[in-house]
Amino acid sequence: MSPGLKLEGVGFAYDTTQVLQDINVSIPEGQLVSLLGASGSGKTTLLRLAAGLDPVGSGCLTWNGAPVVGPSLERGVVFQDYALFPWLSVVDNIEIAIAKARPTVRKAERLAEAGQYLRDLGLEVAIGKYPGELSGGMRQRAAIARALALGSPLLLMDEPFGALDPVNRARLQDLLLEVWELATPRKTIVFVTHDVDEAIYLGDRLIVLGSSPGRVIADLEVPLGRPRERRSLLDSHSLHALREQVAATLVQDTLQRLKAA
Amino acid sequence: MSDYIALVNLQIPGTSLPAASAEPGLAPGWLGRALESVAVWIALLLSWWVASVYLPLGDNPLLPSPLITARALWESLPELWAGTLSSLTILLPGFALATLLGIVSGLTVGTSARLQRIFLPFAKVAGPVPPTVYIPYAIAILPTFKLSAIFVVFIGAFWPIFQNAVAGAHALEQRYRDNARILGLTRLEYQRRVVFPAALPHIFTGMAVGLAFSFILLTVAELFGANAGLGRFVQYYADFADYPKMVAGILYTGLVTFLAMTLLDSVRRRSLFWLK
Repeated sequence: MSPGLKLEGVGFAYDTTQVLQDINVSIPEGQLVSLLGASGSGKTTLLRLAAGLDPVGSGCLTWNGAPVVGPSLERGVVFQDYALFPWLSVVDNIEIAIAKARPTVRKAERLAEAGQYLRDLGLEVAIGKYPGELSGGMRQRAAIARALALGSPLLLMDEPFGALDPVNRARLQDLLLEVWELATPRKTIVFVTHDVDEAIYLGDRLIVLGSSPGRVIADLEVPLGRPRERRSLLDSHSLHALREQVAATLVQDTLQRLKAA
Repeated sequence: MSDYIALVNLQIPGTSLPAASAEPGLAPGWLGRALESVAVWIALLLSWWVASVYLPLGDNPLLPSPLITARALWESLPELWAGTLSSLTILLPGFALATLLGIVSGLTVGTSARLQRIFLPFAKVAGPVPPTVYIPYAIAILPTFKLSAIFVVFIGAFWPIFQNAVAGAHALEQRYRDNARILGLTRLEYQRRVVFPAALPHIFTGMAVGLAFSFILLTVAELFGANAGLGRFVQYYADFADYPKMVAGILYTGLVTFLAMTLLDSVRRRSLFWLK
């Protein structure tokens, strides 16, 4: 079995609605893949299956050769709505992740490590605060810090910047790339988004899902080098061509669905 | 389940007052606000005084004047204090036990579909039974009056706390459940670090209802056979037609109840500081 995340003929139905159908995707370790699609295309469902939060309906889903049968510390998740526990301080939210990932580490060391994760993500001011006292951008940074603290080799990110303003969104995109590029070995990341530009800017590869039911309608390499420089990409012909291609694919899928309806 | 979760949604005093600025008209100054908050008390006191002085109520009126009542209250303070301590030895164990068992069992049942299938039909029947009907039976079956009264207070406080703990566990948002699963929390960790704190707003609502019930049941139980306590104080002086002391006892019991509810509200505010 090849390492990484592998989906073979994966399907999922909710009641009588087929949400995902015959998904065949192989994501090698260390790749940052953007999972793109319109609302309702099953992106989040696919991520939940990969996280083990929901059982696969049909087909086979494996991580490093082992079937995914439930949540595991091997697969961290960053949710769109942060999901930090509001009754725990930001540091405690991260400490609880470290405690589960490395139970032998003493509490004082865990707290120091949690503080370091926050400092690394520019969140010194959040130390000693509670999630309710932070802005949306800061909460999402803390959520990323917690996912990193888990030390999972696979990071599943469900529209993590979807609720942020454009400035914070761009900052966190850059922060994510910086953290990912500096890590050795690099984590495998599946980044769900419905923003084409975000998908291209972050990903090595774009997997585009069509709707009703969710299925892969395009699997494209992103022909942009790393590290990525936001300003220079604005004039990149490759970026514009890829964006046009993705947009055309999505429009075509929508038209086909309308015709079928 | 949803019908079961439709709970007694009593608010703890002071938690849901509408904002003053939401009212039309000019916002009052600090003096105006202070006067507003005591206006009802002043009006009631004046009405009481006027009624007791000017209405023909006889030589030993059921409604003694505020001054006579105040004197009776002052003279009875040592006896009322002893009665308070006696009442608390019933109320505190009953309420504490109801809180502990109500929370533990409510959260356990609220997070298990199987336990819900087993216990909720019973809870639906047993919960609404007025706890006062247990009083004669408890006095007959338990060896001492105190144990009987503790049992009745426990029963009265238990159901609202249990029901609200179940509702709190149910109300836990999916994202927190997912988060706990991703972190790989054990069942005990999940209950202690996720379900319990998330259910606390519901639990405090249940505790407020339970505490109010506890005071009602305590004083009712004391009417049956206690030789001390707040309920017994009121009943004793009513039997002797000593209405100033009886009214003083009613006012004093109201004050003790208010203080207990205020204390609980203060603990609630401190515990739920993270709710924003």
